Amino acid sequence: MNALSAIVQIAGGALAPLLPGSIQTLKARLQGRRGPSALQPYRTLWRLWRKSAIDPEGTGVVYWLAPPLVAACLLAALAIVPVAGHAGSFGLGHDALVLVGLLALARFALAAAAWDTGNGFALMAAARDLMISVFGEALLILVLLIAALSAHSSDLRAMSTAAAGSHIWSGPAHWCGALAFVLVILLETGRQPIDNPDTHLELTMIHEGPLLEYGGRDLAFLHWAAAARHWVMLVLGAQLFLPHWGGFAASLGLLVAGVAGLCGVLALIETAQAKLRILRVPALLGIGCAITLAGVGMWVAGVGA
Amino acid sequence: MGLLGAGALAGATTLGLGGLLSACGRLRAGLVVQCAGMTLLGVAGVAVLTGGEVLGAAFRSTIAPALGLDPLSGFFLAVLALTAVPTLVFARDYLPSSPGARAVGALTAAFLLALVGVLAARDLTSFLAFWELMTLVPAAAILVARRDRAVRSAIYAYLAITHLGGAGVWIALLTLAHHGAIGNPAALATAGTGAQTLVALGALVGFGTKAGFIPLHAWLPRAHPVAPAHLSALMSGMMIKIALYGLIRVEFQWLGATPRWLGLALLAVGLVSSLGGVLWALVQHDLKRLLAYHSIENVGIIALGLGASLLFADAGQPTWAAIAFAAALLHVANHAIFKALLFLGAGALERAVGSLELDHLGGLLRRMPWAGGAFLIGSMAIAGLPPLNGFASEWLILQSLLHVAFYRPLGVALAGAVALAGLAATAALALLCFAKVVGLVLLGSPRRAECAAAVDPPLGMRAGMVALAVLCVVLGLVPGLVVPTLTGLAPGAHGAVLALHAGLSIPGTGSFPALALALALTTLTAVLVRVRGRRRAAPTPTWVCGQPVVAALDWTSAAFVKPLRLVLETLLRPRRAVEVERSGGMVQSITYAGHVPSLLDTSMYEPTIRAGLRAASVARRLQSGSVRTYAAYLLGLVIGLLVIVHTGVLG
Repeated sequence: MNALSAIVQIAGGALAPLLPGSIQTLKARLQGRRGPSALQPYRTLWRLWRKSAIDPEGTGVVYWLAPPLVAACLLAALAIVPVAGHAGSFGLGHDALVLVGLLALARFALAAAAWDTGNGFALMAAARDLMISVFGEALLILVLLIAALSAHSSDLRAMSTAAAGSHIWSGPAHWCGALAFVLVILLETGRQPIDNPDTHLELTMIHEGPLLEYGGRDLAFLHWAAAARHWVMLVLGAQLFLPHWGGFAASLGLLVAGVAGLCGVLALIETAQAKLRILRVPALLGIGCAITLAGVGMWVAGVGA
Repeated sequence: MGLLGAGALAGATTLGLGGLLSACGRLRAGLVVQCAGMTLLGVAGVAVLTGGEVLGAAFRSTIAPALGLDPLSGFFLAVLALTAVPTLVFARDYLPSSPGARAVGALTAAFLLALVGVLAARDLTSFLAFWELMTLVPAAAILVARRDRAVRSAIYAYLAITHLGGAGVWIALLTLAHHGAIGNPAALATAGTGAQTLVALGALVGFGTKAGFIPLHAWLPRAHPVAPAHLSALMSGMMIKIALYGLIRVEFQWLGATPRWLGLALLAVGLVSSLGGVLWALVQHDLKRLLAYHSIENVGIIALGLGASLLFADAGQPTWAAIAFAAALLHVANHAIFKALLFLGAGALERAVGSLELDHLGGLLRRMPWAGGAFLIGSMAIAGLPPLNGFASEWLILQSLLHVAFYRPLGVALAGAVALAGLAATAALALLCFAKVVGLVLLGSPRRAECAAAVDPPLGMRAGMVALAVLCVVLGLVPGLVVPTLTGLAPGAHGAVLALHAGLSIPGTGSFPALALALALTTLTAVLVRVRGRRRAAPTPTWVCGQPVVAALDWTSAAFVKPLRLVLETLLRPRRAVEVERSGGMVQSITYAGHVPSLLDTSMYEPTIRAGLRAASVARRLQSGSVRTYAAYLLGLVIGLLVIVHTGVLG
């Protein structure tokens, strides 16, 4: 079973671009357009792969190293995050907080690369990304805490197993966690209302900003990393905060359904909700923190258990 | 045992000799001898730490001087040696061209001896004597090296605040000695909760002032930046840790039963210090001041680990109590190492470029690959990025706080959850801050001609920095080799509670195999670099909407922090002044000045100082200078006393 889940984990890297692709397609349909096919990200990656990367004048090793490092961080994250409660033994552990550290390393690499180019637009976006991540990281870790409460462990496999079945839904804590995790997904995948993945106006972008100076295979790495971030977050959300039960096969089926459902939710939110003013985002994330703290309090007090 | 003791004594003597040599004009030789002395002391510390035995005298409540070492002292001594030896190697090439070099060199040895003395003191008098020396010697060294008025005022603030707050240390230790409780926790347990509370609070305020806990921190960002680089490194790296050593001794070992409120208080202090420290670090424009504020952040993080340890002990979880304690100690070591590295780096940069104003640097990684590379590693370590040492200890402290939230009572669990979120936000803020520092100092294009012409410092300075950077990497790769030993130092722990691994494999976590993770990241990055192949396109200028790239468009420190400053405007309260000069309807020039004052300076210290001065001016009216008035005072006093005696109030 672990070997099988290792295969699914690795396949996640190949399937990841499908997620932003299908969200874009769904969104277009919801808005009455035909839109690009769900395979469009693969075509984009293939197009970029055949182009040469470029070096802006005056950049050095940090700019040169950042895209492979970001992609490597996401690859390691794929190895850490289990699927349907199981994971292959890659020897990297399965700790939730190590995952947070890896995402932070990727964020730092991109911000440093933005400084290396000296591009004002890239830096503007990097500064916003890091500002939001201050509140986002607090929220992410609190949501992980809620998921860890019933497992008494920060091992993602144990957390997924503990969230299986229907009993967990009888207390309010898990509901709080699920609600807050939606915010985490929106933030980490860079979707509306926090960030707009469709915009290519330099003044408004957040996650796309530091990518401005990259081209060719460098840009392909970064596009893939953004897609892999979708995979990590949606898979995590589906197995920590969506109902699942039964053996590995049943859980895997429910996981696929859950990820597809979450893609639909994201498309729906993007259709219905305009982008927030950037300075309002911390308040939104703060509300998420308050919800999770309430959840932790109710769990420890034993409400509904 | 005899050999170890002799080694430690020889080390201290050598250190003293090194100081004398420096004073006699053989500065470089003196610093090398000091290095040898610190190495001997460090070896003795490691031997005591791993051997688990007690060297020399045990703790006693008398006033007869006594010296000795136990494993906890041994750990701090080892960390002191690990930071001091590279710092002294750095100083060998750094110090000779500084003002007052000979005196500063001798005072460095005196300072190190005072630090070692606090760790080795086993009785009341020698502890307090070394403790005061530890405060006074660096003040003297700074005054010798820098003579301007601003520095004198900073040193005055340093001495005033640390002595006012330091009274807490005296109160705590004298109360302990009065009850015969130094080294004997049972004695204070019988003395009642009143004495216990007094000791706990006194130690928290006294040692907390010296450690730089907010709100008692105001001296730290003033005093640390004005010292010569190697002294800044030792002050920020070790002096404030020695204060934490005192805090651990009193609160963890001599208090008898530890009350729950103390754990919660440490969590609160740690949370406020870590968040406050990093927030005000973000808005500094001077590199050394920024680093000093980060020291406040990091002692806050250590306090979070210590508080979690107390709460676990209270909740009956001895294993996690030991792990949280070890996490705090590991962060002590890690912070000492990367903070020393960063301060040394700041010194090297200042030598090379002549300024530490963040907006005046840039492009130094390429021009100073050794110093810049080491500085980059230190920055990534302090930002808590895997796989460096800062992440290992922050991961352990985060895990501890996460597990605090599992256990009742509700208040403790919620405190753990809030502290957990606060520490996560602190880590993200530190990331923001050091992304800014790395970008402004090391990357991009040079912002001044001096930066373009900068070259790497001489060998000694490079070697000191590289050694510390290597330590950052090694401790990040194999934290699991150190942590089990440290868990054995926790009060109530009988031997190590964890097995020896390279990584951190702890029950209740998903485990952090640091070495494997580092290997995986390096291999994957290398493979991806290889897959990417060569670049075929020619270099292009950066995209600025088609405009030419000019220096005036360079992003600044204030600009990078602006989003956060806008969000937290109510807390940070920036002050800015914009002057627009017009003539004939045309704008001729615009000058902008902005700074963010420390909230506690404006809302706590300034009003207190104003009230104190006002009270003094009222009291001054009593001093008329006329003999008759003083005679009247005396007469009033005598009559008052007679009335008191007559009414029998005094019994």
